[in-house]
Amino acid sequence: MTTLFYILAYLAIAGFFCLVFLKVKSYLQASPLHVRWEIYPVPHEGEKASYGGSFMEEKEWWTKPRHVDYFGDVKALLAEVLFLQSTFEHNLKLWFRSYPFHFGMYMLMGGTIIVLLSAIAQTFGASPDDGGMIFVGNIINAVVLVSSLCIIGGGIALIHHRRTNEGLKRYTTPEMYFNIGIFVVFGFFGLFAWIVAPSYFVTARGFLYNLITFNFAPQPDTWFALHLLVGYFLLIWIPLTQMAHFFMKYFTYHDIRWGDEPTTYSEKNKRIIPNALKYAVTWASNHITGGAGSKTWLEVATSNPAAPKTPREWNP
Amino acid sequence: MKDNLQLADVSIVEGQMVSIDLARIPDLSIDVAKKPWKPVTDEHRENTCCILDEVCVLNIPRPKNRVEEEELVNKFLDGMRKLFTTENNWVFLPLLETSMEYCVQCNSCSNACHLYEMSGEHEMYRPNFRSEIFRRIYKQYVKKESLAKWRYGDMGLNWKTVTRLGELAYRCNLCRRCAQTCPIGVDNGLLAREIRKIFSQEMNIHPRELHEKGTMNQMKVGSTTGMTPDVAKENVEFIDEDYSEISGVGIHTPFDVHGSDILLLHNAGEVMAWPENIAAFSLIFQEAGLSWTLSSKAMAYDGVNYGVFYDDTQTARIALQHMLAAKELGVGKIVIGECGHAHKALTVIADRLIPFEFQVPRESCYVTLRDIVMSGRLKLDPARNDFPVTLHDPCNIVRLMGIVEPQREIVRKIAPKFREMPCKGVDNYCCGGGSGFAIMTRNNIEEWRGNITGRKKMWQIAEAFKDCLGQETRKYICAPCSNCKGQIREILEHNDLYAKNNFSYGGLVELIVNAMSNASPGFIKWEGEE
Repeated sequence: MTTLFYILAYLAIAGFFCLVFLKVKSYLQASPLHVRWEIYPVPHEGEKASYGGSFMEEKEWWTKPRHVDYFGDVKALLAEVLFLQSTFEHNLKLWFRSYPFHFGMYMLMGGTIIVLLSAIAQTFGASPDDGGMIFVGNIINAVVLVSSLCIIGGGIALIHHRRTNEGLKRYTTPEMYFNIGIFVVFGFFGLFAWIVAPSYFVTARGFLYNLITFNFAPQPDTWFALHLLVGYFLLIWIPLTQMAHFFMKYFTYHDIRWGDEPTTYSEKNKRIIPNALKYAVTWASNHITGGAGSKTWLEVATSNPAAPKTPREWNP
Repeated sequence: MKDNLQLADVSIVEGQMVSIDLARIPDLSIDVAKKPWKPVTDEHRENTCCILDEVCVLNIPRPKNRVEEEELVNKFLDGMRKLFTTENNWVFLPLLETSMEYCVQCNSCSNACHLYEMSGEHEMYRPNFRSEIFRRIYKQYVKKESLAKWRYGDMGLNWKTVTRLGELAYRCNLCRRCAQTCPIGVDNGLLAREIRKIFSQEMNIHPRELHEKGTMNQMKVGSTTGMTPDVAKENVEFIDEDYSEISGVGIHTPFDVHGSDILLLHNAGEVMAWPENIAAFSLIFQEAGLSWTLSSKAMAYDGVNYGVFYDDTQTARIALQHMLAAKELGVGKIVIGECGHAHKALTVIADRLIPFEFQVPRESCYVTLRDIVMSGRLKLDPARNDFPVTLHDPCNIVRLMGIVEPQREIVRKIAPKFREMPCKGVDNYCCGGGSGFAIMTRNNIEEWRGNITGRKKMWQIAEAFKDCLGQETRKYICAPCSNCKGQIREILEHNDLYAKNNFSYGGLVELIVNAMSNASPGFIKWEGEE
C-alpha cells in the first residue's frame, strides 16, 4: 500500500507533464501558421503600449527594424498571472473571490518548490535541524496555513457567487462546481494536515525526500496522505479541463492576442505561407467546391466564382 | 417567448424565442428614439427561420419536413467538423480551439459588450451565450466526448438550434471588445465569425448584402457598389469637376499611373455616398505633391472586403486581387483610405494569407495624412475648424491594429475645440454598423441598429458634446471609416439630430480640407447649407 502511494505520486507527476506536453503539442500542431489576430494594447510595443499603439502607426514601418520590448510582455504577463489584472479591471466582484483562490494556489505551488529544494538539500547532506532549515520551515508553515485558508475561502466564495449570481449560474456546469469543490477539499485536507502535524514542513519535506530517494517509508499522517491523494488527482485532472488555462494562457496571450509579427520580418513565415496554400479545401458551398471534391487553398484564392473566365494569372 | 432564457432554450422553444423589450433599453441624453419592431409577416415566418427574435439577418429557408430538418442539421455538423481540421481552417484553427476549450465562464465579457448593455442586459446578448451553445454542440455531437452532458451541459441539436445559432452569429458587431477584456484570452467575437463561416462556406447561407450583393458582386463587376471600372472612373471625374468648383482648387484624380509611390485604395461606397471624401483625399494628396494613383482594375478601385465578416475564401480572393493590382502598377505602397475593415483585411489578415512575394506594403491613410499635415506641406488654418469636434475610433483600425495617435495628432493640430469621447482609443465602442450591418436595412435590422447596436456610440457622442448639445453650436463627428459613417448618418437622420443638435459628420480628410487656406472655406456642411 505504501509503495502504491509513492507509485501514484510518480504517475501523477509524470502524467501531469505528459498531458501538458500533449496539450501544447496539439496547439502547436493545429496549424503551421495562423492569421494575425492581435488586439491592442500589445505590451511589447514599447512606449506606444501605454495607449495601445502599434508599429503600424509609423510611416513605412516595413523599412524600419522591428523592435519588440520583451520586458513589456513579461511585465504584462506577470501582472496578469500574479494579480489577475483583467479580472480586477473588468469584473471586480469576481476578482475579490477569485484572487484569494488563485493566490492560495500560487503560494502552495511556491511553497512546494521551496520544500522540494529543502529535500534536495537534505539529500546533499544538509541537516534537517540546522537554523536555515528551521527558518524555511517556519515560513512554509505560515505559507501553508494562509494558502489553505485562501483556497478554502476563495473556493467557497466562488461557488457561492456562481450559485447566487443569475448570470453565472446559467453558465456554470456541474464540472465547474466540481473543479472548485475539489480544490476546496484539497485545501481542507491541507489545513487539517497542518493542524495535526507538529510541523507541516517537516512532514512535507520528509515525503519529498522519500520520493526523490526512492525510500518508500510509510506515511504517518492520514490528513497529509489524503491531501496528497487529492493533489495527485488534481495533477492529472487540471490539464484535462478548462483549468489548463493556467499554462495555455501563455499561447492565448503571446501567440494570439499579442502575436503581431508581420511577415516582412519572418523568414519562417514567408516559407510557410506558400506551403499552407497547398492544403486541400473541402468546403461544400457553391462558391468554393460546390460539393465536388476538393481544391487547394491556392486554387480557391485564385479563382473567381462570379466571373470564372477571367481570373488573374498567378503562378507562384 | 422566454424571459428567463436558458442556453438549452434554443433547441426547445417553439416560434420566436425572445423579444427585446424596448422599455428596458437605456435612454440617452440626446433624443435617439427606440423604434418599435416591425411585425414579422406570416408569410415571412412560414418561409424563413425567423425564430430567434424580431430581427432576421440570414433568412434561412424554413425546412418543410423532417428530411429537410435533418439535412440542415447534418450540413451544419459537416461544416463544424471541417472547421476543426487543419486543411480547411489552418488560418484560424489554433485561435478557435483555445476559445472553445478554456473559457471559465466568468462572464467578464458581458460588461464589455455594447449590445448586452444596450439591450437592457438581455441574456441572449451575452457574448458567451452563442459561444457556449456552439461549444456544447461541438463537445456533444462532433467530438462526442464521454460525459459531455455532465461536463459541459446538455444541448439539444435540431433545426431550431442550428438556425438560431446562425442568427446569433449575426447578433454581434465583431468588435472584439469582449476578447480584449477576457482574462483567459478567449475570443467570443472570433467564435461568432467562425459560426458565420460554417453557414457561408458549407451551407451556402449568407446575408445577401455581404455575399450576393457584396463579395460576389465585387468579383463580378469590380465593386460592391455595382460600379464597373468605366463607371467608377467616370464618377471620380465628375467628383473632380464638382469639387474643383466647390473648393476653388482644380482637382485631378490620377488613375493607373505606373510606378507611382502610392496606390490609394478607397472604399468605393465613398464615391457613391460621400464624394466629398474622395475629393478631399485627391485635394490633399495633390497639394502635398505626392506621387499617387487610383487603379481602374476591377476590384482594385474598391478596397471593400466583406469576406472578413463571414467567409475566409472570399477574404483571400479579394485581398489577392488588391495586391495583384498594386503589383501590376508597380507602386511602392498601398495606402488604404478611410475604411476600417479594408485596413484590417489587407494589412493584418492578408499578411499571413498572401505569399510574401505577392505582397505590397500597406499603410493606413491616417499615417500618410499625419505625415502630410505635420510636415507642413499644406497651408492650414485651424481657425476654420473653430467648432467642437470629436473623434470616433473605428474598431478595425484602432483596437485591432493599434493605430491610435496619428489621427489624433492631426485633429489636435487642426481642430482647436477637439474633445475625446469617453472610452476613447482602444477602449472604444463600435459604431453599431460593424461586421456588415451598416449596409443592411431589412427585417428590422435598421431598427435593431438604432435601438441596440448603435446606441452606445450615440451615448459616447452625447457625452463628448455634453457642454454644447442643442441647436446653438455646430458640432462635427469625425468618423474616419466608411461603414461607421453610414451607421452614424442613419442614426442622425432618423432622429433628426442634424437639426436638433446641429451635428455634422464626416471623415478626417474633410476636416483637413476644411482647414486648408488655399481652398474655399466651408468644405464641411451643416443642416440647411448648400
